[in-house]
Amino acid sequence: MNDLPPPVVDYLLAIADDKHLMGQQHAEWIGVTPFLEEDLAFCSIGQDELGHAAHLYALLAGDDDTAIDELAYRHEPGAYRSCWFVERATPIWAEALVRHWMFDAADQLRWSLLAGSSLSALADLAQRVEREERYHRLHSDTLLDGLLASPVAAEPIGAAVTALAPFALTMFEPVAGEPDTVAEGVAEAPFATQRDAWKQRTEARFAAACTIDWPDDPPYGDNRTTRSADFGPLMARMREVIDLDPSAVW
Amino acid sequence: MRTWGSMEEFEAFLDAGGIVEVGDDMPHEYRQAVFAFIEMHANSELMGGLTERDWIPRTPGLRHKMSVLAKTQDEIGHGHLLYMVAADMGIKTRTEMLEDLFAGKSRFHNVFHYQAVTWGDQVAIAFLVDAAALASQQAVFKNCSYGPYRRILKRIISEEGFHMRLGEDRMMRIAEGTEAQRKLFQDSLDRWFWPALQLFGPDSKPNDKLLRWHIKSERNEVLRDKWVQKFVPMLHSYGFTIPDPDLRFDETTRKWVLGEIDWEPLKRTLANGGPDSTRRISEARDNYERSGWVREALAQ
Repeated sequence: MNDLPPPVVDYLLAIADDKHLMGQQHAEWIGVTPFLEEDLAFCSIGQDELGHAAHLYALLAGDDDTAIDELAYRHEPGAYRSCWFVERATPIWAEALVRHWMFDAADQLRWSLLAGSSLSALADLAQRVEREERYHRLHSDTLLDGLLASPVAAEPIGAAVTALAPFALTMFEPVAGEPDTVAEGVAEAPFATQRDAWKQRTEARFAAACTIDWPDDPPYGDNRTTRSADFGPLMARMREVIDLDPSAVW
Repeated sequence: MRTWGSMEEFEAFLDAGGIVEVGDDMPHEYRQAVFAFIEMHANSELMGGLTERDWIPRTPGLRHKMSVLAKTQDEIGHGHLLYMVAADMGIKTRTEMLEDLFAGKSRFHNVFHYQAVTWGDQVAIAFLVDAAALASQQAVFKNCSYGPYRRILKRIISEEGFHMRLGEDRMMRIAEGTEAQRKLFQDSLDRWFWPALQLFGPDSKPNDKLLRWHIKSERNEVLRDKWVQKFVPMLHSYGFTIPDPDLRFDETTRKWVLGEIDWEPLKRTLANGGPDSTRRISEARDNYERSGWVREALAQ
């Protein structure tokens, strides 16, 4: 187990849980995206996100599959620190694509705050994550460039942006431990300091599809300690095999 | 562009180890037969990925899930490559092949007409089915006369080897695991043993064109028997029971001999009448149709 202060654990768990559930959500799309190349891209990006989550869980629990899976699957719901945006079920592909772009745009800003972290393993991980994430961004931007050049795509993409915008702001909801984490030098600044920059990028990206009406009161979850309605079914699905026999090694 | 004056001349070329390339003026019958074979392989890789995707979100373990995702990515990637090889033959475009598949007008391997109903099934597919598919593909690669297919198979085979090992590793964990795990896999073995075996098909006909034209290099029954001789003792060694009451070990030949194989289930799957054919095809078609706006927008 790590010897990190509890606020830092709280903070890192939020990033890990976000990455984990984002990777899980991408994995749900394998084989059913609009064309084969997209199946391959979502598969690859999903693996990267799960890999980032595994690295972060390993910082917290040690580099052991059982310990990592304990954090990933066996917490009580209130112990997770995921935002509601990544918990949300997206049975519509336009929403999956828009979330992919929104999450990765925010992720770039989030990890930029960790590049100079006092926690050297985290600073090293920030470099690796950025090497992979730039391809994720290239993927979603290239696809959106193509789609938004056509009037056919404006309505479904616009509807997806409108549906997701309130939930997307939950990415910036802090955990209780964030102020102490910043004070320790683990993160350069609170993540919410990047929110306006992200909103501007998002408005510019989707200007061809819609005008975004940001809510004043996003559906925050008490410093990420309460779960959204979609979390239960999602976690039940993720734990279905594990729960068959809690003592089993698969 | 090479051309041949007659089928006899073409077959002599093949018998001498000749490799046909996409730009060659190959006989129409050969082009049709090779195309149909590759199209079915491509369809099977894609539908196999769809069979596995049902259980990907439920994979027990974070890194384990990454491995399973990588495997399914490989399978769909194989389909992607194979559709390109098939499309280059000038008979159907990739879109036409996919639309035929989703309309139930073309074929894919029997095993993917079944539903993976438990995690044990997912492991059985990786262990038994991938091994059967790999053995078939290795036999094609060994002496394949169509160059573009042979070159793609080299990559596919190297990746399928990893899939089979992943399946073997997962099966061994289950075999050495709890009673609940062992029962889960035994139930899966009961469901998947015969379909996996039937993937090789019934005995090859004496005049099998695919053998004569060096697309396949081994008769179906030879490949099937090799699979039986490998997997029956392996499964026994892990304490599992083969679902064949007539299975026996022939002391004279030192070989395992199965009871009579019922080929009716295979015939039904080839007519898209397998246990999960309707759901599998209609879900794939619905997903494809729902996302038509994306393809339309990108084509503009």
